[in-house]
Amino acid sequence: MAWYQVKGNDSDVVFSSRIRFARNLTGYRFERGLSTEDANAIVEKIEKALGGEYVKTDMTVLSATKAASLVEQHLISRDFAAKNGPHALFRNDNKSLSVMALEEDHIRLQCILPGLALRDAFQFACECDDRLDEALDIAYDETLGYLTHCPTNLGTGMRASVMLFLPALKQARMIPSLSHQISKIGLTMRGLYGEGSEPSGCLYQISNQVTLGSSEEDILHKLEETVQSIMEKERTLRSSVTGEAALRRADRIHRAEGTLRYATMLSSEEFFSLYTDLKLGIALGEIDSITDETLNTLLINVLPATLTENAGTAPKNGAERDLERAAFVKKALGGSCLKNE
Amino acid sequence: MKCEHCNVNDATFLYEENINGNKRSLRLCADCAAKLQAGKLFGDGIEALSIPSFAKMQENFLDGLFGFSPKHPSASTQKACPGCGASWAELLQKGKAFCPTCYTTFGEELQPTVRSLHGNVTHVGRAPAGRRAQKEKRDRLATLKTELAKAISEEKFEDAAKLRDEIRTLEKE
Repeated sequence: MAWYQVKGNDSDVVFSSRIRFARNLTGYRFERGLSTEDANAIVEKIEKALGGEYVKTDMTVLSATKAASLVEQHLISRDFAAKNGPHALFRNDNKSLSVMALEEDHIRLQCILPGLALRDAFQFACECDDRLDEALDIAYDETLGYLTHCPTNLGTGMRASVMLFLPALKQARMIPSLSHQISKIGLTMRGLYGEGSEPSGCLYQISNQVTLGSSEEDILHKLEETVQSIMEKERTLRSSVTGEAALRRADRIHRAEGTLRYATMLSSEEFFSLYTDLKLGIALGEIDSITDETLNTLLINVLPATLTENAGTAPKNGAERDLERAAFVKKALGGSCLKNE
Repeated sequence: MKCEHCNVNDATFLYEENINGNKRSLRLCADCAAKLQAGKLFGDGIEALSIPSFAKMQENFLDGLFGFSPKHPSASTQKACPGCGASWAELLQKGKAFCPTCYTTFGEELQPTVRSLHGNVTHVGRAPAGRRAQKEKRDRLATLKTELAKAISEEKFEDAAKLRDEIRTLEKE
């Protein structure tokens, strides 16, 4: 079972928590100017260091659709999917722990868990980091910490991030203010797929900006405190809707449920919009026949590349994909994923 | 019910405030709620932790990160990195290091940029297993020296003497 199929803590507001470490090997150039021979040697060393428990995906022989599906599942970055030359992905069975060999840095290790679980994600990431550390000569400097390709990652080399579902704050037009204010404490806000991505489905990713001079503990503490504060505001706003507005919201939620259950065609954009209403409905207790984890699983499975992969057919055009998406959603919400069945 | 602030749009938010026992509540539309609360809603807690903003720095990343700081040394530095052969001029142009050794080779030149990006130039936190004990010792020494300076400034000389002895013992290890 993948990590996103499991219910997490505070799942009414938090979609996922992620820890990512950037590490490099001494004696090799960074990505730029790395020879093919050295690149292959690095991939081999990482594979050996990780042992046999991880599933290896050689990215050089992977189709563009499969690579795009890995991006949609938050397992790899867009840059990693698009790059040339030797590079590989190593992941555990539930896809919560993964290592990108030869992304911008030689090693990009990540642990992603459902809901608010930064401490657990950090613990698992550290265990994997220690394993790599025992077998490899990791580039490290007493003063600058872990040495990385880009100086923005120096120090801990850690990005801790939390994906938040903030429909009420968005409706209240408070996202720009929130984004501005968290930047003052060294945090940053991005869309669903990290750097450069636009927010979809009212999902926003908040992560630390500074990696040097603050310990991992300090970074986690600051992020947790901020997330707690945001969760509180989001929940307050959700519960402050009253009267006709509350009725209209309930109507929108149930219409979204109806459309998702019975639509014949669904575009990605429409799905995201309906997803927002339905997820809010689950959080408010308006919808009790669909679980949050069912909806989150759908969020990943109906994205274009993953949908095509799961259908097991060649890439389709937009209209055929919209038909496929609607059928997929109908089956998931109308059949075995219903609660108490 | 109409918004109690603009009296135009439907009220969809309930704003409640309790300042030193003075309570008041307002039913607001989304626009007025945003206007009234944007500054206040997140004003507590987060603002108190104010540290320099790095958001603006992000915008300049593609322009060559090592050239970001106005204090960065000129491109005339002649040395080449023994790890990859890169020159300071090449680092300036690409905005990123070419190999881990670049950071040692161009440590002095890089310092202003690193400080600009992070507000700090000294790592705190995890270290590779083999260097963890050494790092813990260094961190402990730094803490003791800070405590020593504080003890002296507060004229707590007995405490200062104990701290000095502990520092000496640790430095000999």
